[in-house]
Amino acid sequence: MKGRVGSVVCSRVAGTALIALFLATSANAQLRRFERHFTVQGKPVVTVQNATGRIQVRAWDKQEVLILGQRGSTNVEVDTEQAGNRIEIATRVISGNANPDALRADYDISVPAESELQVRSDSGNVTVDSVHGDMSFDTVAADLALQDVEGYLVVKSIGGSTICTRCSGRLDATSISGDVKLLQPTMDNVRVQTSSGNIFFDGSFMNRGIYVLKNYSGTIEVRFSSTDSFDVRATSLYGNVINQAPVVPDRHSMPAPRSGLAKSLFGTMNDGHAKVELSSFNGTIKISKRE
Amino acid sequence: MSPTQCAQFERMLEEQPDGPLAAEATAHMEGCTDCRMLWSDLEAIRTTAMEWGGQDVEPPEYLWIALRRQLEFEGLIRGSIREGSQRGWVSAWFGAAPRWALAGASISLLLIAAMLAGYQKNEPNTAALLPTRMSISAARPKLVAADLGKALDGDLKQVFDSLPEGNTVLTSSLRENLGIVDNLIAVCEKSVREQPDDPVARDYLYGAYEQKAVLLATAMDRSALEGQ
Repeated sequence: MKGRVGSVVCSRVAGTALIALFLATSANAQLRRFERHFTVQGKPVVTVQNATGRIQVRAWDKQEVLILGQRGSTNVEVDTEQAGNRIEIATRVISGNANPDALRADYDISVPAESELQVRSDSGNVTVDSVHGDMSFDTVAADLALQDVEGYLVVKSIGGSTICTRCSGRLDATSISGDVKLLQPTMDNVRVQTSSGNIFFDGSFMNRGIYVLKNYSGTIEVRFSSTDSFDVRATSLYGNVINQAPVVPDRHSMPAPRSGLAKSLFGTMNDGHAKVELSSFNGTIKISKRE
Repeated sequence: MSPTQCAQFERMLEEQPDGPLAAEATAHMEGCTDCRMLWSDLEAIRTTAMEWGGQDVEPPEYLWIALRRQLEFEGLIRGSIREGSQRGWVSAWFGAAPRWALAGASISLLLIAAMLAGYQKNEPNTAALLPTRMSISAARPKLVAADLGKALDGDLKQVFDSLPEGNTVLTSSLRENLGIVDNLIAVCEKSVREQPDDPVARDYLYGAYEQKAVLLATAMDRSALEGQ
């Protein structure tokens, strides 16, 4: 009898402790969650600085910028500011002695479709969906995924990868070891340089478009369809050029390679409306037919 | 001023390095301090270069000797250069590269020197150092002439040591990429040693050095940011 009473008391104490723990955790999480609304007009400029964590930006049809976020701990603070059509969001580390997870902040940001974005992140993921304004990204190890975006895109990365799906406009991307992948782009000006990363371009070359892809090592692969019209100049100093394009000798007198060492391909496909320049130090360049 | 507009401005400079500024670029520059300073620096470099060419002034002898010794030591040039033809080997080394690439390489090296100088002085804002680039390069020719690579590596270590401890992903990514860039530089230097007359090999070497400058600038930037 005595034992049964003791067991019931223990159970109640444990239950109460569990509920208290749950409530505390929930309250703590609630404390770390935040939400901000900013009414804007026209084309706002949204700046996000977040060293660690996920940044997700989506377009919506409201003239408002909505920021939903979660801080990893109370060791980080989030500052937001509105000055007219300029919205600034910055994660500020209060105490750097915490573990990496405690220093992160995650953001879900909804913006008007025509917004201009400026994002700076060190590690984590950055995704942007359906935004049609100019945007720039400055990252170290953060991976970047852009989808259905349009505008002048500037990407500066050290080791993070970039995937651009159905992007339009212009792209200027540089990285040291990050891969750059362009899927179904409709861009008329593309400049990509990565040192040891791979570059993959799978889309149509637009008339009057200029495509300059360069790396040191790794693979550069571009895919063409039989209706594409481009001049191609592919040069790998110590690597290989593998070509499936039925090019004819260059009709537009592009300058000959300046190096006697390089393996090069010069030629024109159809009327040569676009200009494609592929160059690598010791990587492989593949010009492949799309299946 | 937005980085996108600044990038467009830089591209316009690249595309027309010697021509007059487009109206759009001029308009941007009027409202952007950084780009105005960049333009001012480039003008200073251009003017100085023209003055050198116009007056045919010989550079200080010790500078050529030190540079030549270093490049011969690294095997980047051959030792059979005639006395009194210093300008010849310089133009042979840089000659085939576009002028803008040379200017870019100079800016990168000057930027590195400026940033390192700034770091040593514990100045937090690298942008504020930009106007001092010319004076630093003029005042410290021996730094450039000495083994720049070793000097850079020493200071790089300090910069990397000052990165925030909490963000291990940032630190390891920067270190890993520094290794990649150093490896690229070594491979490109070997290529230039083997093919000293190949302009493409030289272009890749310049590019590799630029990558190192970019990496260092990023590390400096993150270090200052995280240190706030």
